[in-house]
Amino acid sequence: MPLEFRRSDALTFGIELELMVLNTHSYDLARGAADILPRLAKQELPGEVKPEITESMIEINSRVQRRYDALLEDLIVLRDAIVGTADKLNLAIAGGGSHPFHRWNDRRIFPTERFRHVSELYGYLAKQFTVFGQHIHVGVAQPDDAVYLTHRLAPFIPHFIALSAASPFYQGEDTSFETSRLHAVSAFPLSGHMPEVRTWDEFSAFFDEMAGYGIVKSMKDFYWDIRPKPEYGTIEIRICDTPLTVDLAVQLAAYAQTLAADLLLNRRDEPLEPLYRVYGYNRFQACRFGFEGTLVYPYSRKQVRLREDLLATLERLRPTANDLGAGSALLALERMAENQVNGSRWMRECYERNHSLADVVRMQSERWGTVPRT
Amino acid sequence: MNPSFLPSMPLALSYPLLFGVLLVAGVMGGELARLLRLPRIIGYVVVGLIIGPLTTAMHIGPLLDQARIFVDLALGLVLFELGRRMDLRWMRRDWSLAATGIAEASLSFAAVFVLLVYEGFSPVKSGLAAAIAMTTAPSVLLFMSHETRSEGQVTERAINLAALNGLIASVLITLLLGSAHYARSKLELEIAILQPLYLFVGSVLLGLFMAVFTRVIARSIERSSDMHFTLVAGMVTAAVGLATLLKLPVILPLLAFGMFARNDERGHDLLNVNLAPVGRLLYIVLFVITGASLPLTGLAASLGVGLVLVLARVAGKTAAVLIFAPLGGLRARQAVGLALALTPMSTLALLMAHDVGQLFPSFAADLGPVFLAGLLVMEIVGPFAVQAGFTIAGETVPSLTGRYRAMPADAVERR
Repeated sequence: MPLEFRRSDALTFGIELELMVLNTHSYDLARGAADILPRLAKQELPGEVKPEITESMIEINSRVQRRYDALLEDLIVLRDAIVGTADKLNLAIAGGGSHPFHRWNDRRIFPTERFRHVSELYGYLAKQFTVFGQHIHVGVAQPDDAVYLTHRLAPFIPHFIALSAASPFYQGEDTSFETSRLHAVSAFPLSGHMPEVRTWDEFSAFFDEMAGYGIVKSMKDFYWDIRPKPEYGTIEIRICDTPLTVDLAVQLAAYAQTLAADLLLNRRDEPLEPLYRVYGYNRFQACRFGFEGTLVYPYSRKQVRLREDLLATLERLRPTANDLGAGSALLALERMAENQVNGSRWMRECYERNHSLADVVRMQSERWGTVPRT
Repeated sequence: MNPSFLPSMPLALSYPLLFGVLLVAGVMGGELARLLRLPRIIGYVVVGLIIGPLTTAMHIGPLLDQARIFVDLALGLVLFELGRRMDLRWMRRDWSLAATGIAEASLSFAAVFVLLVYEGFSPVKSGLAAAIAMTTAPSVLLFMSHETRSEGQVTERAINLAALNGLIASVLITLLLGSAHYARSKLELEIAILQPLYLFVGSVLLGLFMAVFTRVIARSIERSSDMHFTLVAGMVTAAVGLATLLKLPVILPLLAFGMFARNDERGHDLLNVNLAPVGRLLYIVLFVITGASLPLTGLAASLGVGLVLVLARVAGKTAAVLIFAPLGGLRARQAVGLALALTPMSTLALLMAHDVGQLFPSFAADLGPVFLAGLLVMEIVGPFAVQAGFTIAGETVPSLTGRYRAMPADAVERR
């Protein structure tokens, strides 16, 4: 049975964000989703707030938007509603890719059928998977475009990693990585990237084969960095840590939108194999060194500093971004790359102040809730 | 040969020996309770109830007086922890929480006060007893939340409300004692006013001083949790000593110390220390001695009134919580859970009654038996109520057997 792809308007976009729920005395993760969600359900919101696998996590799903400023506006309303509700319950909300010091066996699985199934299947991985990511959806009009974009966005994955990185600490240690969250993802059997299929039909055949083996039941079972999302008619970039502010989350989405626009306009047809030969290396460089990582170009075989590549790309995309209304978003990212600041660097600087991870989390939650718009 | 190196007969029982026996017996009693699927506290208290008469038979003075320093230290740490968990800003943000707290304290006070006056006790004594009955045992609450690993709105709210009713009760007791002095000995009015004022302001200042001092030291020592734990334990003990020296009640300065030591945006000098490692030892001491201080035999005559007192108290608390908690958006199960979690009475009430009795001997003579009878009932019922409350609210780890770590979470839930 061919996998049905629900078409959507090209270059519309939206985001999903997984957020931490914290107590306000030790700033450890707290059980709170079950108290926050019913209170939010009573409010009219520009998007959805849903439970995630553990009770210390909630997920925002934004509405579908066309423009950066509209999406940002929605996200700010959602953020304020969640923070306000949590505040009344004496809970705090924060961004960041992983909690710096929580113990995974303290987590409780949110009591729904699917989460119980996942927990049973993956055992301790499911609880260790208490990590917090951002997913960016970009709408595509043709299913073949979804396959095309999934491949051609792959070289830009390191950019998203370096910009969003906000999980330097894990289980109470500085991991020396810019993002430690991605290790938790890699432990799952179907992580990595999509195989080198070229059309939607080829992809459908691949999916049927995997379903025939009984390995997958739905697209949800693939934990790839980028994957087509036929139910929404989008491609989904799943590599980002949840940033420390909604502003950055929306800027990253705008970057993905602009990249997609450029790739659809200037079609690439280089072979896919070299692209995936260097993929793992480049991804590791970004996770470990962030802006300072070294990227390998698959076709020219040249090496370049991640930051240089990112800045060059942002500059090249400027006209496209301006057409989409995302110019200011890309400028903000450019400033980040120039100054080499991301969430992880900010968190490490916070830690230097008084060597308390609890205080780092407190400042994260403060930053999430109150950072002024720039 | 003169065998002077041998102990002289008859052997004199020493306190270290008694103390060791008490601890080990407590541990075993707790595990026995566990085997019978009861909260461990029940085991500790029962061991105390057995040891109590034994010490009397062996002509050892009341354990509570002899081991008061351990009780003070243990309760001091519990109150400090309680103060640290109390969040006044939360009460400002969610008015329903403060309203629930004031209502449950007032209603339980009123119920017990009316009952005791009706029973013919003097208003001042009835007021003192009602004020003590207003408190929720923080030791039982914190111990049970550790044991059941309970976490969530009901647990947090119960801890905050226990801190609030402890605070209100100790202020009220201070005021009532002042008026009792005034009525009894026709002291000058100034003393009747100045004494409570001194007790209150002095306690808060002592708490503040200890917190500031602790922060200063914390900044200059290694930031590891065992160093900070030792620092806190030392400062809490010192605070207990200072409070006694300054003739202040122990409860108020320790609560204040905890509240001022809370980390917030102003400073994060003190690590959050986990009391659990030595917590077990302190809790056992606390509960065994509390049990040992409840004379089983002398209470039979007062059990009736004691029981009614406890019922009035619980009715007051429950009514207030069921009315006000839902206004803060708590679900029905959560409100019931919260009401149950607020019921225990234990060491804090015992110490308060004991100290009031020393300042005001006729209180002990008149109301002592009734109060202790009520306390005895709550000592047994309280832990069950808290456990039931946390479970009904859905905040405990699904299995209480302690084996959940070895299994996937849902394997436990499915049973």
